[in-house]
Amino acid sequence: MSVPSSVPAPSGLTGTDFLAAQRANRRRTRWLLTILTLIAAGLGALIGAVLTFEGGTAEDAFQALIGPAAIGGALVFALASTIWSGITLAFGDRMLSGIAGAKEVTREEEPQLHNIVEEMALAAGLPKPRVLVIETEVPNAFATGMRTSRSAIGVTRGLLKTLNRSELQGVIGHEMGHIGNLDTRYMTAVGVTVGLIAMVSEIALRSMQWGGMGRNRSSNSDSKKGGGQAILVILLIVLAILAPIAAKLVQFAVSRQREYLADATSVQFTRNPEGLIGALEKLTQAAKPFPGVSGATQHLFIVNPLRQFSSRAWALFATHPALEDRIARLRDLR
Amino acid sequence: MDTSTWVVIGIVVAVGLWLMMTYNRLVAGRNQAKNAWSQIDVQLKRRHDLIPNLVEVVKDAMGYEQETLKLVVEARNAAVKATGPAEIGRAEAALTAATTQLFALMENYPQLKANDNVMQLQEELTATENKISFSRQFYNDSIMGLNNMVQSFPANLIAGMFGFTEMPHLDIPESERAVPKVNLR
Repeated sequence: MSVPSSVPAPSGLTGTDFLAAQRANRRRTRWLLTILTLIAAGLGALIGAVLTFEGGTAEDAFQALIGPAAIGGALVFALASTIWSGITLAFGDRMLSGIAGAKEVTREEEPQLHNIVEEMALAAGLPKPRVLVIETEVPNAFATGMRTSRSAIGVTRGLLKTLNRSELQGVIGHEMGHIGNLDTRYMTAVGVTVGLIAMVSEIALRSMQWGGMGRNRSSNSDSKKGGGQAILVILLIVLAILAPIAAKLVQFAVSRQREYLADATSVQFTRNPEGLIGALEKLTQAAKPFPGVSGATQHLFIVNPLRQFSSRAWALFATHPALEDRIARLRDLR
Repeated sequence: MDTSTWVVIGIVVAVGLWLMMTYNRLVAGRNQAKNAWSQIDVQLKRRHDLIPNLVEVVKDAMGYEQETLKLVVEARNAAVKATGPAEIGRAEAALTAATTQLFALMENYPQLKANDNVMQLQEELTATENKISFSRQFYNDSIMGLNNMVQSFPANLIAGMFGFTEMPHLDIPESERAVPKVNLR
């Protein structure tokens, strides 16, 4: 069976929403990475200032925030964030498909699955991704790939058993939407930076403990100069506690928007919202954790395999929008 | 050199860059459309290859449906011979209608459902027909982008200069997609 061997450059055309979404996605990835890198750099600056602060008034403390040690700290963390993201973007997809415990299947083993993946690749004008199966009865599916020319779509055995052809087509269309919109790349870059901010905050809180205690002793001997130190420490505590939460919320918000976009992209490919609606209903009823899924990979799946977020109370912390919202938006597409 | 010379040089460079970029976008658009068209072609050929196989495996079981089988084979042969987008579109639509009718009739023969060979061929044909329509969808999207550039100012100046022309939409009207009706006049 012949499939496109190379993806035509979409740069020449602006005719489809899909290609415009790709460009917007790339642009937002850069913006988000910049913001998150700035948060990490801010933490670095504060740590640098706290570590080298020799005691003094509030004014001295603010001076220290723009001093050489603070700038050095900021540069170190900005650089670390950039390098780490770069490394993960270059090698990340292998790690992720390894975690989920998925095995590649041949055309002879799963002809219909291969056919549907080929159909959706044609609809998207993208090269055919590798086709993987996870041997578990829980129905679910995921997509991974740092670039459209080297991507993979995985489904569970349970999914193949539960869904009919058009429902399976809707799910594969959703995953192909993730690949075309470069969502794996996006979410990996975001995840890496969020992880870095969490780590930096942890380091900040610890370094403040022993750094702060050392200074405390010296300020005891000269207690009049303690004001500036206290301000820096409080600033650092606040930032070290808030930054990881803020970064996490940004990550979840981005993840939910990507799900909506992939749902819409699926319908754009299949022109059949009923398939995806039916699939989502079946998938959510049967969603359960299965071996190989962790917090690090939950956002890759079409329905969250770890937690059910049907209630609005947890909406801010959900990787996926509530099912009824997804179905409501799909019905709007009819 | 005075300021006005520099301004003229700047304008010439800017126009040159725009010319280059517009030309490259037109080339990329035309290649994407051609690639999409060749995909449709590949899938149409595959369907032409699959249909005789399916007819072969079902013809014994479907003894009373010789008329439908004959229609399918005739539609297939007409589609193989068709040339040009308009004729191909019509012939393939007729073929789709014929195979749809065949699939519907096959529902009446449970022994076919139990035959792995038949089920496999049916899946391949279904997939191929889907691939044809998805390729056509992508082709039409690609064409729209190219045609927009060929028609709109100022890209149309470049397009005219280098011989980029509009490419035809590949539409199969709903009326032609339906099973042909017998005309009782």
